[in-house]
Amino acid sequence: MGDLTRVTIDFESSHLLFPTIIACVLAVLGLSIVVRERRSILASGNHWARIFSNMDKVRFFGTIALTLVYFSLMVPVGDMWPNTGMGFLLCSIPFVFLTGALFLHDRGLRPVATIAVVALVVPTLVWWLFTDVFFLTLP
Amino acid sequence: MTITRRLALAVLGATALTATSLTAMAQELPRNVRLVIGSTSTGGDTYQNSAIVADALADKLGINIKVDAVGATAAFKALERDKRGTTLMIFHDQSYLGELYGREGYKDPFSTYKIGPTVAINPGNAYLVAKNAKYGTMGEILSAAEAGEKVRVAIQPGGVSEIGFSAMKNAARLRSPGSEANLVAVNTGSQSDKNQAMWDDLADVINGSIQANEQFTQLADDDQKAMKFVWITARPKTLEQAPEQGMGDTTRDKLLKYASPETNVPLNDAENFTFDKEFFFLYNAEMDDAIVSQIDTALAEIFENGEIQKRQKASFFIPNFLPSDKARAHLEAKRNTYKDVISEITTN
Amino acid sequence: MELFAFVTPLFLSLIVAGTFVGIVFGAIPGMTATMAVAVCLPLTYPLGLENGLALLLGLYVGGISGGLVPAILLNIPGTPSSITTTFDGYPMTRRGEGERALKIGIVSSLVGGLISLAILFLFAPVLADFAIRFSYVEKFLIIFFAMTVMAALSKDTLVGIFSGVLGIFISLIGVYDLSDGGNGKTRLIPPGLDYWLDSGFSLLPVLIGLFGLTAVLCEAELGVPRGLSRSEVKVGHSSRFSFSVFKGQMLNLIRSSGIGTFVGILPGVGGSAASILAYTNAKTFSKNRDNFGKGEPAGIMASEAGNNGLTGGALVPLLSLGIPGDSTTALLIGAFTLQGIQVGPLFIGNNPDTWNAMIFAMMIANAAMFIMMFFAIRYVALIVTVPKHILYPIILMMCVIGAYTINYGIMFDVWTLAIFGLFGWVAYHTRLEIAPFIIGFILGPSAEVYFVKSLESFGDPTIFFTKSWIAMVLWVLISGSILISLYLARQARRD
Repeated sequence: MGDLTRVTIDFESSHLLFPTIIACVLAVLGLSIVVRERRSILASGNHWARIFSNMDKVRFFGTIALTLVYFSLMVPVGDMWPNTGMGFLLCSIPFVFLTGALFLHDRGLRPVATIAVVALVVPTLVWWLFTDVFFLTLP
Repeated sequence: MTITRRLALAVLGATALTATSLTAMAQELPRNVRLVIGSTSTGGDTYQNSAIVADALADKLGINIKVDAVGATAAFKALERDKRGTTLMIFHDQSYLGELYGREGYKDPFSTYKIGPTVAINPGNAYLVAKNAKYGTMGEILSAAEAGEKVRVAIQPGGVSEIGFSAMKNAARLRSPGSEANLVAVNTGSQSDKNQAMWDDLADVINGSIQANEQFTQLADDDQKAMKFVWITARPKTLEQAPEQGMGDTTRDKLLKYASPETNVPLNDAENFTFDKEFFFLYNAEMDDAIVSQIDTALAEIFENGEIQKRQKASFFIPNFLPSDKARAHLEAKRNTYKDVISEITTN
Repeated sequence: MELFAFVTPLFLSLIVAGTFVGIVFGAIPGMTATMAVAVCLPLTYPLGLENGLALLLGLYVGGISGGLVPAILLNIPGTPSSITTTFDGYPMTRRGEGERALKIGIVSSLVGGLISLAILFLFAPVLADFAIRFSYVEKFLIIFFAMTVMAALSKDTLVGIFSGVLGIFISLIGVYDLSDGGNGKTRLIPPGLDYWLDSGFSLLPVLIGLFGLTAVLCEAELGVPRGLSRSEVKVGHSSRFSFSVFKGQMLNLIRSSGIGTFVGILPGVGGSAASILAYTNAKTFSKNRDNFGKGEPAGIMASEAGNNGLTGGALVPLLSLGIPGDSTTALLIGAFTLQGIQVGPLFIGNNPDTWNAMIFAMMIANAAMFIMMFFAIRYVALIVTVPKHILYPIILMMCVIGAYTINYGIMFDVWTLAIFGLFGWVAYHTRLEIAPFIIGFILGPSAEVYFVKSLESFGDPTIFFTKSWIAMVLWVLISGSILISLYLARQARRD
């Protein structure tokens, strides 16, 4: 095709070529969406306000908080008994119990007891399966 | 049966642990050790070799060792986080070559970590050409470069795959300064990419290995896929320890023909360039020296016993035990040689 | 018979056990066939070659198949290659046709597995020679073709394509991987996050974050309404499975299996592309295009026949070139070297017994997979009747295990799960489309490597059109797929 279409790719900077192209395409697409949807984007404040006012805030933010605490504690706890998966086990039991209790509507003795049993049995079983049988590393 | 045995072991272990925790904790390996490796593949040579060593070591010391293929950068990070000896690492020459070639995520291992014992060599690093290629030997390749012909070499840049190519350039420079510019790198990734580069006529020479490429050398001449070895980088004394039947159709004697001294890729006026991919332990810099010597002693006894060598040889590894201090001296000298090669070809 | 000397009770029970464990792995979100094989690889050393392979091949077939269970019942793809199964499988479950959808998936998996096995057995060496004619250019075009499904899957074409390109963009964060042919340099990392993001986001945590965690968050937002898991889900008998659903779908099944097999044969194109391509094609050529994504059985058939077609296909380059077709078969190389067996172009000729044993093991594994899944599936499907306050915490916990173990213990992968779980929730409320996003994310890295390498090696963008007749055929397919999506989008607007 001759020299007109010739391109030379410098290997040392070739990691930037494709991201640049994709970023340009993304910007063009993003702009067209902004132009087409300018009304609904301007009104998005209302949209989110409605979402937040309609949501079950306790359950939603409770889930997020529990999950983040769960993730944060796993490694420090596991570090006390290195390479035994204890961090996973000791954090999963309360996590499964608390999330279960959070999701429960009717917090009577029976359902809470069921959750407690599940929270004890399932993580322990899974922990045993993965560390002892499959020999995988858990936190 | 196994469960009861395991249970008994666990109970015994727990008792022993509580009994000794106050006195002996710092001086020896904990009961549960994680061995991270610098490769993400659990089918590759680093994993296999580490698994063999981990099995033997765990048996010998009565502890658990899990091998985790987390990859180089993640492995270095894990190693830096823990100085109690709960995390050890096995990797090969890439650990310092990565730094020499300026790759992201690599630091000088000799100053950042403790260097542990070497355990094995993979003698397979090789260079190949297509069977119907113009060049049949390293000599012809270097002459072609001298005559001004471009020779394209497919490698994965930044480490073990590149070091042989750097050596070729160095050899070309020694033969005729300036001719090294005619050896051009074709940067590819996996072995399949390198093979494909040859078949697509994007490369004249490819980096490969005895294990992965030997069968291609047995193909008929008119097969597009057929290849032949031009250079095996291993030291002759390493290859001599390989099984006599060699690999596939290529006996050890044939393999030796492609290696120094029969195939010459000079390092300087006096000697040939060689490269062995050696696997060795890396430890956290602050790990207790008592653990270092515990592992040294245990491995010395394991290699004394002789069983591990059989397993290593069955997977085409060459047993190569050097205790920590010797390993460190040896690897550092090796690193300095390659450092010179790389700086020679980049400054000129 | 001398020929079948390898068939012993141990051999057979290893296949069955392997298939079972594989199904379990595949069915747990975040656990993959690759991981099942990796975990069991060390066990094969004392078993010897044939028996070891029996176990591993069982795991492989089971692992690929098991992924359809959570994809259909919970809308969480058990493995990346079952992503397209969720598109039609979960809508069917919501209609109360969960069991029927599962059985359609299982039958299609069997067909895909057997067709690809037949192709493997009959044509392995020929196909390997054909596969090596696919250079960077043709591989890029295949990936590009698979990407055209993004447009077809979008509810709103513009937003859908934007989501897909965003997926590609995010997949490029981190290192341009040396082992894929990149230069090992990092890019697009937000300042201060280098320590965590130097390898980018891993696919599996992203996937289970977007599907698993997002689903739980959306439910929590609604206050976890009482009743069975997932609002109107019924396993029920409202529409029973019968083989008549396959009437008129023979072509679809064969085509999808063929596509799956072929994608498997091409090293480096990646397993997930198989089911995506099969799905694209099924949708393009179907008379009921509009029903795709809304619970069309043909969509499940294409996806599952496609990803099981992979099993035979990925073994072709492994056994006739010594090059793995996907990440799972890469581990099988380990099994061979553990036994001191070389794999390469001469493998089949040099080891006819092992070759026969492998084919036979794959056949039994497919049969075992079918029997176990088809007859036990009714009980598995009951999982959706577990109360949500028990099921969801366990799903979250399993997601954590999957994310943490996929790369053998990297905590950042767990955080990735959290990040993309939240991202998915935001996307749910902003019309960003998850299906094209995830397809962009899956295909982005290979698209980059093959695109850049094509230009780097040939130095001319016109090479994409002129490289070979294969490239031209691919362009015809690509343009056809794009035209049809545009036509459909216009029709949808008119309705």
